[in-house]
Amino acid sequence: MSSTHPDPQTPTLVTAFDAARSELESDVLRGAGGRAAMERYSDRVDAMLRQLFVEAGGAELQVVLIALGGYGRRHLCLRSDIDVLVLFGTPIGPTEETFLRAFLHPLWDLGVAVGHQVREVEELGTLEVDNPEFLLALLDARQVAGQRQWFDRFNELFHTAAAHAYILKSLLQLIDERHAAFNSTLYQLEPDVKDAPGALRDLTATRTIAMLTDPLLLRRGPADPARFEQAEDFLLRVRSTLHLDAGRNQNVLGHEMQERTADLLGYPGAEPSQRVERLMSDYFRHARTVSRSLEWARKTAPVPVGANLGVSRDGVRFLDPVQAARNPAGWIGAFRAALGAEAEVSEEALSCIQQHVDRYRADDFFPQAADRDALMALLRPRPGLYERLSEMHDCGLLGRVFPEFQAISWRVVRDFYHKYTVDEHTLQTIRNLERLTTTTDPARQRFRTVLAEVDRPELLVLALLLHDVGKWRDDDHATESVRMAEGALDRLQLDEEGRDTVLFLIRHHLQMSLVAFRRDTEDPEIVKDFAAFIGNEERLKMLGLLTIADVEAVAPGTLTQWKEELLWRLYVDTYNHLTQRYGDELIERNQAGLDGLLRGRPDDLSVGEITRFLEGLPQRYLQLFPREAIYRHVRLARDIHPDEMHVSLDRADGPVWTLAVATLDKPSLFSNICGVLSSFGMNIIRGHALTNPNGLVLDVFQFTDDERYLELNADARDQMVQVLEDVVSGRTEVAATLGPREQGVLHARGAPFFGPTIRSDNQASGRYTIVDIVATNGLGLLYRISRVMSRHGCDVDLVLIATEGERAIDVFHITKGGAKLTEAEQRELTADLHRTLEGSL
Amino acid sequence: MKLIKCIIRPNKVDEVKDALAKLSIAGMTVTEVRGHGKQKGHTAIYRGKEYNVSLLPKMEIEIVVPDNLADDVVKAVVQAARTGEIGDGRVFVLPVLESYRIRTGEKEA
Repeated sequence: MSSTHPDPQTPTLVTAFDAARSELESDVLRGAGGRAAMERYSDRVDAMLRQLFVEAGGAELQVVLIALGGYGRRHLCLRSDIDVLVLFGTPIGPTEETFLRAFLHPLWDLGVAVGHQVREVEELGTLEVDNPEFLLALLDARQVAGQRQWFDRFNELFHTAAAHAYILKSLLQLIDERHAAFNSTLYQLEPDVKDAPGALRDLTATRTIAMLTDPLLLRRGPADPARFEQAEDFLLRVRSTLHLDAGRNQNVLGHEMQERTADLLGYPGAEPSQRVERLMSDYFRHARTVSRSLEWARKTAPVPVGANLGVSRDGVRFLDPVQAARNPAGWIGAFRAALGAEAEVSEEALSCIQQHVDRYRADDFFPQAADRDALMALLRPRPGLYERLSEMHDCGLLGRVFPEFQAISWRVVRDFYHKYTVDEHTLQTIRNLERLTTTTDPARQRFRTVLAEVDRPELLVLALLLHDVGKWRDDDHATESVRMAEGALDRLQLDEEGRDTVLFLIRHHLQMSLVAFRRDTEDPEIVKDFAAFIGNEERLKMLGLLTIADVEAVAPGTLTQWKEELLWRLYVDTYNHLTQRYGDELIERNQAGLDGLLRGRPDDLSVGEITRFLEGLPQRYLQLFPREAIYRHVRLARDIHPDEMHVSLDRADGPVWTLAVATLDKPSLFSNICGVLSSFGMNIIRGHALTNPNGLVLDVFQFTDDERYLELNADARDQMVQVLEDVVSGRTEVAATLGPREQGVLHARGAPFFGPTIRSDNQASGRYTIVDIVATNGLGLLYRISRVMSRHGCDVDLVLIATEGERAIDVFHITKGGAKLTEAEQRELTADLHRTLEGSL
Repeated sequence: MKLIKCIIRPNKVDEVKDALAKLSIAGMTVTEVRGHGKQKGHTAIYRGKEYNVSLLPKMEIEIVVPDNLADDVVKAVVQAARTGEIGDGRVFVLPVLESYRIRTGEKEA
């Protein structure tokens, strides 16, 4: 009894506790220290703690006392810790601390080993991921004393699908670690009846796995439930004898204890060795039952693959179907998880969805931005997408998420070509795209490469999904598809660029086959018009892939090699036009299509100022930059004088920075900017150099700052702009700014992943020599290339820079002294570029 | 009877069909084919790399007509399929010995 906390009730407590223990000890001595005895002991401890709880003032507080772990399961062993959680409904203040002392100190004085945790209930809303043992103990929580409402609140906060998934994952890991300590065999001569394979922890773990995944799991297991319970009772009886004899929490059934335990448990036999042998063979028999049940549960139970989702042999299913039925926002996750796990969605989950899907509206499936992102992520083309979308369609989910799609469900359109209903044709287009991601057909590799380069392939799938929804009517279906798709895109709240792309693809989904199969694509005017219609390479890639997928889904054999070849030729010619000939097509005064740009101009810009700026820039400029960027560029070029450089450096959402530099023509300008960006460690991902006939140069670079230099240093922007000005004006040499990075920037590091491809062409453009370079991307690549060009006296007039994974694809439009390069000059330049990029210079 | 076999540019099929319709010729067989004549394919360049397109996509139209119509048909096809550039294609005229209608088994004159 504590001298600092005299408590008149403690003697009663001592008596009560002694009585409880004596009762259990005598049970153990009779060989009956199994489950029933432990339950009685637990109940007595409950009563004792309840009394103490009240005496300490717990009844007046917002608090609940919860039994955890073995005590929570009412399997309190003689010398086990009494694990409890004291959970407060209100913030812990001095009153609560006083209660804690009054409650815990008498227990300590009694010499009871109490494992106590103290929390405020709302803390349990955050999963304590660094303490998996505690989380496991919480699964056995049982209210002993205090207010029910806080226990209910605990259950509400703690028992979430995400928590269960995490705990299950942790449990499986803990089992593996524990088994490893026993060399993963249950046949130990001196087994630890708590921790060894097949012992009590495994038994509890088996039940926990079932509880977390499928409560009926064990009924289908290898051992019938009665045998499993016999094993438990046996192991508990053995453990009790060990605790009794050692007087502490001792669980190893050592050689010296085996004889005594055999006697206590009443094993027959003339010789002690016979009795021990019988005990141990019973032990191994029970341990094997447990061990096999655990292994079976591990193999059969669903593996968590997301919130309330597990994957087992029959596919992905809801761990808690009742909860799943109420949470339609989680359904799309099941199909995503199945794609990730390369599994199906189980019949059970599909039935659950089918049964409840009619209760919900489209918005219910993606109420939050994260849900909408998840839907878009689901649509990324990869193996299994067709199967999953078909499952979604079959169970009615796809038609609920996209009621537009429901309109073409089982829709029959009779023509000479189509073999499938409109909905199936649509899904087949997606299957064709999916197959392209892994095809080994040599003839298809070119399209596979194009698909791998598409920035947002999910937009392509979305466009395919909606491209024929207008076919529910018999007239012009593309227009109707666009009208319907607009509603779907509104709900998805897709960004403007994505939305424009999807609608463009749907509206024009027949255009590329029309041009490829019905027009003379050898006529440069046809290609030029098609290129102008498409606008940029990204859309070209997407429309090309959409066309391939669409034609192939009409009927088997529709996409002949013949058609593929025509489509590929149109793709290549248009691609070349977009990247090489655009320099010849300049924006003219009275250019069509400028109305919107001029009408929407901000107050500080006049029509004259904008048209003066635009005149003579390539027409492509208008397709490369959104309106707001164009206005910014006009301002940047305002009042510019020779020897001046106007710079803007900013970052929109995400990691990409944009640097725009306007100046009147400067020698080596492009090369110098590349050099400065490289010297600051910036990774250039896209770049455009544009000139107009008045000598205005506009260089726009997009780059990432992988070392977060600009973000972490307050004066970094000013510093970078200052260095740019110094270098461009000729006050400083680029080489001087490179400093320690010089080696990395000036020389390719390591062996290139693949040899560079360099090709120069004087035919493609009327004004420029075009140099196409495909090389391994790396820090300073552009600087190395453009420096060689500057050294050869070339002016870089226009540049397109793109990076696709490890590859940089750069198209330079250059002149020398205002004219194209001669054959000899081209040869010298490309040879020099080869040497530089192969690292020999 | 003559079999007239035309190898033409894919984009000229509709024009040739229209021209034949004007001669009241409705029956024809159209096949996607690949091949090369004097044009011998061409070299395309994609991202700095050259690749050969040796077999070019063409369309083949086969028509069987009475002897007295053959010249008009050839003229109509040539006129409709011509662009004046290399690669416009060829027309072959072959004699047809016999012709049977499968449905009735009757021999056509």
